Amino acid sequence: MVKLAGLSLNEQEFLTDSLKQGIRSDGRSLDQFRDVEITLGDQPGYVDVRLGKTRVAVRVSGSITKPYEDRPFEGIFTISTEIGPIAGAFFENGRPSDEEVLVSRLIEKAIKRSGALDVEGLCIVAGDKCWNIRADIHFMDFDGGFIDASCIGVITALQHFSRPEVTVSGEQVVVYSTDEREPVKLSILHVPICVTFALFNPKEKEENIKGGADGNEEAGEFAIVDATMKEEGLSNGTLTITMNKNKEICQISKSGGLPAEGLMVMDCANKAYGIVEKLTDQIKEVLKQ
Amino acid sequence: MSTVIPKKRLASGLTVTQKVFVRSRNGGATKVVSEHYLRDDIPCYSKACTRCPEIVKPDANNQYPNFVLSDSPVYAEKYGHHYVVLDTNIVLLAIDLLENKDAFCDVIVPQTVLEEVRNRSFPIYTRLRALCKSDEKRFAVFHNEFSEDTFVSRLLNETINDRNDRAIRRCCDYFQKHLNQHRDKKVKQINVVFVCNDKKNRDAAAGAGIMADSLVDYVTNLPNGEDLLDFVPNMEDGPSFSHKKETKFPDYYTTARLMGGIKNGTLYQGSINISSYNFLEGTISVPSFKKPLIIMGRENLNRSFNGDQVVVELLPKSKWKTPSNEIVEEENMDANDNAEDGDSPNEIISDKERLFLLKEAQKASSEESSTRIQPTAKIVGITKRSWRFYVGQISENSVAKDSRTSNAARNCFVILMDRSLPKIRIRTRKAGELLGQRIVVAVDSWPSTSKYPEGHFVKSLGAIESVQAETEALLLEHSVEYKPFSKKVLECLPKEGHDWKVPTKLDGDEFIKKRKDFRDKLVCSIDPPGCVDIDDALHAKQLPDGNWEVGVHIADVTNFVKPNTPLDAEGAYRGTSVYLVDKRIDMLPELLGTDLCSLKPYVDRFAFSVIWTLDNDANIIDTNFHKSIIRSREAFSYERAQLRIDDASQQDDLTKGMRALLDLSIKLKQQRLDAGALNLASPEVKVHMDSETADPGEVEIKKLLATNSLVEEFMLLANISVAKKIYDAFPQTAMLRRHAAPPATNFEVLNEMLRVRKNMSISLDSSKALADSLDRCVDPQDPYFNTLLRIMATRCMMAAEYFPSGMFSYGEFRHYGLASEIYTHFTSPIRRYCDVVAHRQLAAAIGYESLDFSHRDKDKMELICKNINKRHRNAQFAGRASIEYYVGQVMKNNNNDTQEGYIIKVFSNGIVVLVPKFGIEGLIKLEVLGDANSAKFDDENFSLSFKDQNGDAKTISVFEHVNVQIKSVLDPATSKRKAQLVLV
Amino acid sequence: MSNKELYSPEGLRLDGRRWNELKSFTCKVNTHQTSSDGSSYVQQGNTKVMCKVNGPLEPKSKANSNNNNASITVNLNIASFSPVERRKRPKSDRRIKEMMTILEKTFSETVITKLYPRTQIIVDCYVLSQDGGILSAVANSVTLALIDAGIAMYDFVSSINVGLYNNSIPILDLNHLEEGDMSFLTLGIVGKSEKLAMMLLEEKIPFDKLETLLGIGISGAQRIKDLMDEELRKHGKLLISTAAS
Repeated sequence: MVKLAGLSLNEQEFLTDSLKQGIRSDGRSLDQFRDVEITLGDQPGYVDVRLGKTRVAVRVSGSITKPYEDRPFEGIFTISTEIGPIAGAFFENGRPSDEEVLVSRLIEKAIKRSGALDVEGLCIVAGDKCWNIRADIHFMDFDGGFIDASCIGVITALQHFSRPEVTVSGEQVVVYSTDEREPVKLSILHVPICVTFALFNPKEKEENIKGGADGNEEAGEFAIVDATMKEEGLSNGTLTITMNKNKEICQISKSGGLPAEGLMVMDCANKAYGIVEKLTDQIKEVLKQ
Repeated sequence: MSTVIPKKRLASGLTVTQKVFVRSRNGGATKVVSEHYLRDDIPCYSKACTRCPEIVKPDANNQYPNFVLSDSPVYAEKYGHHYVVLDTNIVLLAIDLLENKDAFCDVIVPQTVLEEVRNRSFPIYTRLRALCKSDEKRFAVFHNEFSEDTFVSRLLNETINDRNDRAIRRCCDYFQKHLNQHRDKKVKQINVVFVCNDKKNRDAAAGAGIMADSLVDYVTNLPNGEDLLDFVPNMEDGPSFSHKKETKFPDYYTTARLMGGIKNGTLYQGSINISSYNFLEGTISVPSFKKPLIIMGRENLNRSFNGDQVVVELLPKSKWKTPSNEIVEEENMDANDNAEDGDSPNEIISDKERLFLLKEAQKASSEESSTRIQPTAKIVGITKRSWRFYVGQISENSVAKDSRTSNAARNCFVILMDRSLPKIRIRTRKAGELLGQRIVVAVDSWPSTSKYPEGHFVKSLGAIESVQAETEALLLEHSVEYKPFSKKVLECLPKEGHDWKVPTKLDGDEFIKKRKDFRDKLVCSIDPPGCVDIDDALHAKQLPDGNWEVGVHIADVTNFVKPNTPLDAEGAYRGTSVYLVDKRIDMLPELLGTDLCSLKPYVDRFAFSVIWTLDNDANIIDTNFHKSIIRSREAFSYERAQLRIDDASQQDDLTKGMRALLDLSIKLKQQRLDAGALNLASPEVKVHMDSETADPGEVEIKKLLATNSLVEEFMLLANISVAKKIYDAFPQTAMLRRHAAPPATNFEVLNEMLRVRKNMSISLDSSKALADSLDRCVDPQDPYFNTLLRIMATRCMMAAEYFPSGMFSYGEFRHYGLASEIYTHFTSPIRRYCDVVAHRQLAAAIGYESLDFSHRDKDKMELICKNINKRHRNAQFAGRASIEYYVGQVMKNNNNDTQEGYIIKVFSNGIVVLVPKFGIEGLIKLEVLGDANSAKFDDENFSLSFKDQNGDAKTISVFEHVNVQIKSVLDPATSKRKAQLVLV
Repeated sequence: MSNKELYSPEGLRLDGRRWNELKSFTCKVNTHQTSSDGSSYVQQGNTKVMCKVNGPLEPKSKANSNNNNASITVNLNIASFSPVERRKRPKSDRRIKEMMTILEKTFSETVITKLYPRTQIIVDCYVLSQDGGILSAVANSVTLALIDAGIAMYDFVSSINVGLYNNSIPILDLNHLEEGDMSFLTLGIVGKSEKLAMMLLEEKIPFDKLETLLGIGISGAQRIKDLMDEELRKHGKLLISTAAS
């Protein structure tokens, strides 16, 4: 995803060679997800996620606005990302790069488009007033796996957040402060989790596309789970799968990169499901506190 | 479209063309072009065909289509062996006939017809599709629009309807030729008959050599036509479906006009009450008329919801009507409406409804002389909507099965649990997921061009019939606040929490000093088993002079709930605790209700005590009120108290005191009954919960013990004493409770029924007269009759209400049911807010503390009363609904029980039966009873004669004892489980 | 538009196709001889797409210069008159940007970029009319235009989308009404293989349906590849015959 920053050829070769032998520099196995550390803030809706050295802060907030004209019966849910130099020297301030657009589109598809948040429940008065729920993602430090970490952050923060109670009587809308009435949790319909795979091709490109020299040989491409920054830089593209515990695929994105066998994709999806199950339970545990 | 659309043949055997049409939406027009493929592999689905089995292709599951049309279809003299092709209007109007299993087999439905039906009425489309699935009916859909041989392009200046008619005729023609050519030669000739009620279309068909007939003619020519003719709807040249009328509701008057009208007395304002049996009839009580005004028909009801504040205008006397005696349910009237018709308003008043209104009008005119005609009005304005969150579920019919997984937003109907409210149209993306769930919706608007109000989805409560969803639904439906108490409220509680104790030093502050120490009195409490919020405790002690000192001690809630705190505001808002079968929704936080205030045994508690000196005949000699400290010796359940009193070996002072209390209470009760207190009845039942599984076990009718009445009598006495005291101190703002005498009109019908059926009557001269006459109404043959009558009499009563004393003159304070001049609620401050106010007023009256302004101000008191009256009523309804739900669950387990029932109401098209064992009542419609056409309704004698299922003539009338079979069924419309009764 | 059956029990779709039938597919190459090095026009049903390729050429800016490989830049223009209701999409629209990035990344792997170091290949695509499957149509047109430009590629990239109706029936090559009503997977494969060069799923599907969708999509894409191959060979023959005469 990210251009290699100061990685010598030697180091590159060393890392790729070890990966071929199934060894990763941080001692993980190829399909092992890093440990996730989720910290809830004091205020509802603030969540801090650490995935190895990657760190993402998510803040969910709500306000009342007018719904979009073409969707009078739905509330508004926006996700905004901010990647600045604080996350790493190679990120620039200002205009979002292509990469950033891809990242934010992906998170949007994984959570918003898959209908994780019930936006119809955010409507107060159709066509006139609705909740605008906004998730701000700040990237604090980077060591690969932005998408996975942000997705965990956003979905946890949405479940952690609660909005003030609102009642409508006649044409009057009353918003109660959180002291006055118990605030209301958002209605979360499912918990999507993203798992990103980095694809590697140990051989020549021709062999990848045309198959081995005699046509029978194993092509040998492989995928690793949750790549670090260095691994990501070395890979030939990524594959992000978003799933939930109900065995539904919310989103798959393989934007170019190494051509992969359908079987390999199926294999990745199976591995992803195992990880999704584990992470969903972890999020549930964290929120119980 | 006059442009010639090119066709292109593709290598794969398909021909592609373009379909061009103009779509108008929101006033704009958009040209839409879509591809349209014509194919040569659409089979005719006839078993007689030799060609089509060769050309068919499998679907995604590798299944080949089933050839359904028989090779020897029905024979009729005129048509030979034949298949039928249906026209759209036949399907729309005679779907019931098509579903008849003795006719209409081997039917071809052209795609053109199918699509037209789908656009007109989705529910009928669903039924048609079900027919196509059924093996016996042998309906086949022929996709004529996609077949190369039958596709027709629209001609210049041809209307779309003409083009579709031509497409259907082309389809008939194709089938006939196809069958002639490819029919297995071993099979007899098969003809195609086009059934169509449009004469022009038939003529055109005949011109093209197609056999065509109207529905009536076709059925007549069938071998079994005679039997079927009854089912043919009369519609030759009847209402045409092809052009919809654009009608709308009348506009509301302007505010200025409404104001002016109300001022000069030409318009009346009030709250509308829509009948729960007939959604097209509402009533509104206004002071200027003795009888409530009737509002009948959708147009006159003019978009009002049950409970709205509306302004009405009287109709001319010629249009006055009698209240309807027919059951009309929305589901039957509008079952075939299309939810998707959001943009184009369809007719607001359906033909079925017109028929009903016509019938009512005829009835009114034929009974011109009758006294039952009531002033009738129409609604011209709505001043305040009663809109809130409503609970309901998505109507199964309004969602297409095939699109349930799609994410596109679609319109669908939500049927509300409250039957007196209309369906609500919402737009949602989750229609499929929400099916089968209780959902909450909000209403946004009801434009005059729309037949239905529009709303939006709020949240889902869970699966229908699950305990959690149903409980939450009924709490929401009765606007019971059930959310946990907020932080601010909880902060008002004592910091010590459960460790709070009555101070040991009694000379602490000035308030403690004012309290009396009653800890030496032998106080005990008697409550239902398992009661944790003990409001009241009693004691009795014989005085040296032979009189009795009797004390009623009430939990001192106001010691903790101070005026103008969030805690007080929350209590005032909730108004009352709500008791459901398996759940209690507290008015005050649990810490107070079940611990700090609750008069638990063996611990010191603050109380508010009423101390009387009574003589041996239970006459009051002296009354005193004290804030006090007590220590209850024991908490009894009714049964245990009864056992203790009955146990002669118990001779301690506590038991003696209890015996004295019992004696005195019996005397008090007699005094009350002599004064004319009523003994009414309601079919209340109790549901036993299986303690392990929390499943409802069985239902029993509530039993009453002598100790119940012991407690009750002293509470009544305390309430009356307090009422007098606070009225004395605050003549304008005392919190009181009154029960008005029922107006004679309420009893008119009941008395008439009694006179006609039983030759009895009840007197309404006074409560005493009523009580006595009720006692006289005994049917020796039927011991339950008296109770039944009391139940029915209770329903004719007015509701008791809270009020500040300044609102009425002293004479109107009277509590009719209790036969007391003045009354209030004082004895349950933990669960009723009225009692909290009464406590404060009493405390001020005895100089304990000063009274907060809000309880001295008449306007504020009125607001408080209005709210607690509403909450009180809702709490009752919620409690009943909870019992109803659990009774339904119990019945589910003992289905098909036969039980005794009583007829309590007779309509022209059904009866209402009450089953005392379960405390339920159910409607039995005429169709279920027997032959609807033979029925005769005699409204003077309250009886209905009809032929039952076996053809025997039967007459049933009100008060009659019947045996009914109870089936627990899920009402398909509201998804409420209700008892379906069948006469046996 | 739910007043029509998207897929009738008789197995026919809105427009009369069966579940596994492609929209009518036509393509042309070398449509813009003077203004580009390679060009193509692809029509899948009422989706119409045009593509021009310029390059390999000297990179306009240093950023696009890579010492080992050629860099591929894709520009995507969606005409404001192309959807049913006229709507202008700004070029900075995130969805368009996403599609451009996907195309760039896909073709960087299939063009033999190492043959053209320090050069840039510029691909301009124009969507003239939309009726579902824009991304697939654009990918197909880019393949044709690159081949027309004579740029060395490992193999074709052919693309198609496949939807899931009612969570049970797979449906190939959706039009825009179908796209609006069901979840679908867009995929692109390389040559005659079963290797996925790109893959995009934006809405929920049950996990156990993924394999079916992939299988049907791959076979559909292979049919597209054959159709494109046929057109190219026809064009080639024409070129030879004109050159010979």
